[in-house]
Amino acid sequence: MLKHPMLKYIREEGPAGKRLPFILCPGCGAGQVLNYTLHAVDDLINQSGVKKEDFVFISGIGCSSRLTSHYLNFDSGWTLHGRALPVATGVLLANPKLKIIVFTGDGDAAAIGGNHFIHAFRRNIDITVICVNNGLYGMTGGQVAPTTQLFTITPTTPYGNTEDAFDLCKLATTAGASYVSRWTTAHPFQTIKAIKKGIANKGASFIEILSQCPVHEHKTPVELINALKGITVSIDKSMNSNKIPVGEFHFAPRPEWTERYESIIEKANESIS
Amino acid sequence: MIEIVINPDYCKGCNICVAFCPRKVLQTSNNINSKGYMLPEAVNLDVCTQCMLCEIVCPDLAIAVTPK
Repeated sequence: MLKHPMLKYIREEGPAGKRLPFILCPGCGAGQVLNYTLHAVDDLINQSGVKKEDFVFISGIGCSSRLTSHYLNFDSGWTLHGRALPVATGVLLANPKLKIIVFTGDGDAAAIGGNHFIHAFRRNIDITVICVNNGLYGMTGGQVAPTTQLFTITPTTPYGNTEDAFDLCKLATTAGASYVSRWTTAHPFQTIKAIKKGIANKGASFIEILSQCPVHEHKTPVELINALKGITVSIDKSMNSNKIPVGEFHFAPRPEWTERYESIIEKANESIS
Repeated sequence: MIEIVINPDYCKGCNICVAFCPRKVLQTSNNINSKGYMLPEAVNLDVCTQCMLCEIVCPDLAIAVTPK
């Protein structure tokens, strides 16, 4: 039977029987982003000669983080809540040739892992952070998160959220990431291109993907994807607009941290001998 | 001959593929799988251009189109 081409990167069978279908709710944006990521990784394996063994997926806790080590047929790690970036740093230091992809959610990256988030980008470590941002804590019941938009109604803000949302792209750019872009699940080809560019970039890359949560936003997936198209605007036209800009925000390659670290090791060895 | 296969075990009937299909090849249907989800259905295979958009946007890797 004809099979989805990306199923070759998925472990369909495990020791306890069938692993698929995914544990996600119907129409979840995290599944779409996983599909986009696998398309980008597949293109890199076929076109750039990067080996499948070179990719490592690291994730924390959350709906989106659930996808990597449970289903992917790549080397992967499932770490503590918010601590995916320190683990990724350790993996990279052990073998700087690896292509590390941190697959994370907004709660994992911006809320509990906020401090690790800024310091990973400050060091410009050679990792690609893919952040599935649905603007709420999906796994625990849809509560308000630091990325929830103003006046959004959630179970913990029944009359509307009074706090301004975190702009993760601005945060990553300011902290020192060398590649930053934002897309939504309604922009499949742009997202795949951005992920490919992020993985190819030698340095810290941050790709935020605005996503939908049909269960907690109480709408159908298609309505939410169309809404995402409506609330976003291309960065070129975003000057006098209240909408969320999407596109490539920042691309400025600068020296990467592990290279500097190895040069320091060489310097220390020379001074000893 | 173009073939579009929807895996009834993996599909959760979110109908994102139906919304994205530019030629309206995929349509909602009343076919129900073992979990009670309403599966989409490929009705008009003659106009399919194999753009693969349904494959790219599927959150559950449930749909497959004959490769070009």
